[in-house]
Amino acid sequence: MRLRTSPAKLLVLVALCLVVLVELRTALAFVGVSLSIGATVAVGVAAIAALLLWAVRPAGSGE
Amino acid sequence: MPNGATFADAYPTQARHIRAAFWASFLSLGVGAFFGLIQALHRTDILRVIESQTYYTVLTAHGVFLVISFTIFFLVGVFQWAVTDSLERPPVDMRFTWGWYGLMSLGASLTAFAILAGFTDSIDVRANVLFTFYAPLQAHPLFYVGLVVFVVGTWLAGADWFRSWLAWKGDNPGERIPLPTFMVLTTMIMWYISSIGVAVAILAFILPWSLELTGSLNPTLTRTLFWYFGHPVVYFWLLPAYLLWYILLPKLAGGRLFSDPLARVVFILFVLLSTPVGIHHQYLDPGISEGFKFIAMTNTMFLLLPSLLTAFTIIASMEHGARQRGGEGYFNWLTALPWRDPAFTGMALAGMVFAFGGFTGIVNAGMNINYLVHNTLWVPGHIHTQVGTAAALTFMAGAYWLVPQLTGNRLVGRGLALVQVVLWFVGIVFMTNSMYRGGLVGIPRRTAEPQYEGFEYEVAAGSVGELNAQLAIGGTILFVSAMLFLALMVLTAFNGGTEPIDDGSIPPALSGPEDSPAVLDNLKLWVAIAAVLVVIAYSFPLASIVSRGGLFGPDIGPIPVAIDAASTVARTALEAVSAVVR
Repeated sequence: MRLRTSPAKLLVLVALCLVVLVELRTALAFVGVSLSIGATVAVGVAAIAALLLWAVRPAGSGE
Repeated sequence: MPNGATFADAYPTQARHIRAAFWASFLSLGVGAFFGLIQALHRTDILRVIESQTYYTVLTAHGVFLVISFTIFFLVGVFQWAVTDSLERPPVDMRFTWGWYGLMSLGASLTAFAILAGFTDSIDVRANVLFTFYAPLQAHPLFYVGLVVFVVGTWLAGADWFRSWLAWKGDNPGERIPLPTFMVLTTMIMWYISSIGVAVAILAFILPWSLELTGSLNPTLTRTLFWYFGHPVVYFWLLPAYLLWYILLPKLAGGRLFSDPLARVVFILFVLLSTPVGIHHQYLDPGISEGFKFIAMTNTMFLLLPSLLTAFTIIASMEHGARQRGGEGYFNWLTALPWRDPAFTGMALAGMVFAFGGFTGIVNAGMNINYLVHNTLWVPGHIHTQVGTAAALTFMAGAYWLVPQLTGNRLVGRGLALVQVVLWFVGIVFMTNSMYRGGLVGIPRRTAEPQYEGFEYEVAAGSVGELNAQLAIGGTILFVSAMLFLALMVLTAFNGGTEPIDDGSIPPALSGPEDSPAVLDNLKLWVAIAAVLVVIAYSFPLASIVSRGGLFGPDIGPIPVAIDAASTVARTALEAVSAVVR
């Protein structure tokens, strides 16, 4: 299967997603928006799934 | 060094010496990481394999093995590589070089023995005093003797590098100091100036007191002397990481260092600014006037300057490398960086965490806001982002490039190495985010039992249970990552009959030493200015502390930390009652 990006970049992007998710929950709490663990995990799964879908989607499809 | 040759080919004896330093470092990393895992699981009450009374032995071991032994053994290896490679000459006398390594190993072994003996009752030696060994907590004299011998070893290492440079200078009159050697020499100047504080604290006060030669000491004085050294030691851990960012990262990115002069300025700023700031660790200490603390805070804020200069230079160098590799656009050049390379990715992620941790450091340094987080879990959160990642992850990533150069072997498991550095990045963010949030609501550091009966912490988001789970998950990921790193290093060491992918050459900077003023290389001048700044910052506070509490304190006896708790309580109560009766 050909990826739109290299596995290494994908790994780094997934790691960044996790990190943003953890820190975003804290940042949102400071402005009065509290995300439950369940909601945080759901957002994380959705974000990483979207990232993986983008990566495996053939380049040029949908254009 | 001939083209295509590794460091091990050009300098086999020196490579063996550096490998020995790295193995001592990696052994310490393994032991320290193991104690870190025990701690993370214990204080979160997820898995308790030790008694809470033993927690301080574990905590002391975790601190000393990682921030003293792991970091400093690694940095002497890196510095030896940097000096030998950039001066293109071996040390003047390898027996001397092995001598200081032997002293460091002896000192580390003595201190390690004093700490680890705390796990058994069959040996009457204890050192449950944590990495900061604040008096009146008292350790066995072996603990202090080991530290002194270790530090003397590092002093001699510095003397060895100065000797190499002087020999090179004799053969190359008028030449600018090669940048890697310049970085080593300036770092060692800072180390000499700052470690005098801890040497005086131990040799003049704490060691004689632990040997019962003196009956008392002044804890404010020894704490102040400790922090005189305690803040610059952070830069002693960090500057080898800076060296790798300046020297290695641009090459790994595919380019060249953006500016040699800026790098020199940064290291000189650390010589000048890193020592007269230590009192910012003592904002809550009684016995030091607020004015001195305010001056220390102001000095500390100046330290942002070299860090910001570094961020600019390193990112500019990375962008240059990416554009050499075909990267284009305002941000798209980021995708052209060699993310497959664990050495590059590890250092880049370490730099990212360092930037974040730097902002949390501003909170620590600010006198008023420090009161919110002082002695809370926030502080270990900060140290784990800075030393535990900016330095430690850079060292591990650097090892993925350096160890093949030092062994002549190809790195085993390049893909796994990438997973390892990414795991560390994720683990540290999980763990430190929990620590920072816990610290903000006042969860204390350095305790096995952070939860109190009849009291609930009001966490901004989630609960203490969630924070604990996050801390334990992060700590476990970090442990797995550390073990993976060690396994890859062992496998690489035995991967004979192979060759490293990369050659050992370091390309010259885009703006080289010829663009920097010659005064930057005038080390005597910077030493003199640094000494004046230290005298200005510390003479009045020290005089004030001594005039209030005396050199040897107002009859402060030791607090042995590993004795029968019941008898201590009984004795303290009796003393209190007798004082009241009198």
